[in-house]
Amino acid sequence: MAMRAAILRYIRLPARAQTLAAPRSREWTLLGGSSASRSMSSHGDDHLTKEEVVERVLSVVKSFPKVDPATVTPDVHFQNDLGLDSLDTVEIVMALEEEFKLEIPDLEADKIDSCHLAIEYIHNHPMAS
Amino acid sequence: MSAAAAVSTAGYLARRAAQKEKVRILYRRALKDTLNWAVHRHLFYRDASDLRERFEANKHVEDLDTIDRMIADAEASYNKWRHPDPYIVPWAPGGSKFTRNPTPPAGIEIIYDYGREDND
Repeated sequence: MAMRAAILRYIRLPARAQTLAAPRSREWTLLGGSSASRSMSSHGDDHLTKEEVVERVLSVVKSFPKVDPATVTPDVHFQNDLGLDSLDTVEIVMALEEEFKLEIPDLEADKIDSCHLAIEYIHNHPMAS
Repeated sequence: MSAAAAVSTAGYLARRAAQKEKVRILYRRALKDTLNWAVHRHLFYRDASDLRERFEANKHVEDLDTIDRMIADAEASYNKWRHPDPYIVPWAPGGSKFTRNPTPPAGIEIIYDYGREDND
């Protein structure tokens, strides 16, 4: 009986020691550091690789009816190179939002002017999927 | 008249740029609203092209005050037609999953002692 209590006390001790140690809390702060991440959600887990983002963005831009698919490259500017209107840019940004299940704030969406900016923004967005 | 326009070029361009940005944001919101109202894609495409026609019809207006008045009217009609239950991406503010599982504050720990009591 005393031995059982002694063994239980011994087994219990490491858990207490771990809660007081720094590594655990550091682990939590690393996870909770970026304000946009939710650690218990499975949305946004599939971190997109750059090539995948590029491929999907290009496919969205190429399927736009006013765009010639042969001229689309990852560096193309919507208004200068593709000859699109500012309203067409708005439509493309909306199509990208739908493709990657994102919600881009209005002022940020206004600044997306080229494929390069779009790829950067989507790649760096934590919730893109 | 042209001298006055040339003198205030910087101000004129700044006003036009601000108006263009307002128009782009308005078009974006109106397009999203159109998708909210017309859920089915074939209806949405038709309504979206109608909306685009309305924007294109006023494309060539040059007078600043007329443009301002048109933008104000368009924003008023957009506010009148806003959908009461718009589709918002779940994790965004206003969506259904927003702050559903916030990350716990740093330093909070769960001690897994499975109900073991102190006098054991």
